[in-house]
Amino acid sequence: MKITGTRFGDIEYQEANLIHFPEGLIGFEQLRDFVVMPNREGNLLFWIQSVEDKDIAFLLTEPGNFFLDYKVVPDKTEMAKLNIARPEQAHALAIVTIHPDKSVTLNLAAPLLFAPETNRCLQVILEGAPYNTRTPLPTV
Amino acid sequence: MLVLTRKSGEGIIIGDDIRITVVEVRGNSIRLGIDAPRSKKIHRLEVYERITNENRKATQWEPVDLQALSRKLDTNKKQPRP
Repeated sequence: MKITGTRFGDIEYQEANLIHFPEGLIGFEQLRDFVVMPNREGNLLFWIQSVEDKDIAFLLTEPGNFFLDYKVVPDKTEMAKLNIARPEQAHALAIVTIHPDKSVTLNLAAPLLFAPETNRCLQVILEGAPYNTRTPLPTV
Repeated sequence: MLVLTRKSGEGIIIGDDIRITVVEVRGNSIRLGIDAPRSKKIHRLEVYERITNENRKATQWEPVDLQALSRKLDTNKKQPRP
């Protein structure tokens, strides 16, 4: 399959490799399937491209690269949505925002829970946790 | 939008599985009790809207931003440890 006219040009993908968001992302509930694009220049960042909307792509990173004690454990409902049996089958990813002034923040308040074995992903809101939607990226 | 008047102790039901009760009214604040299945996520509206806004902003990057950020992270990573 092919998505034409993304910001990176045309993208070919295999349907079996898509990441499925059973609930979409918050504010983008209608977008369910994304292609994972590795970032050649550095392995800390990668991006996901919507199959349904060529203009929508998110930059992601493993927050554990920057915040060693950051941990998100799925509850039973979330595990069911991810189609996994054990909490450790999912790990957290953070959405990266690059602001107009080129500053970079991570959204630690609403991470993605990703289950590699089922290729499913869920955005969760950590209410009550001391995490910010705009946590500055620390220097590595 | 449906607008209803409710007194303290009264409530509403949405569908057949979400009950919202007015627990207490004090000044311009009301306390709500919500009974809903665990699979229904319940969030404060302003928190939900903040995440929606942040997600929208997060889609606004350009390939050149990705290259610049990758180079920066890569350079930092390759610095020799003290």
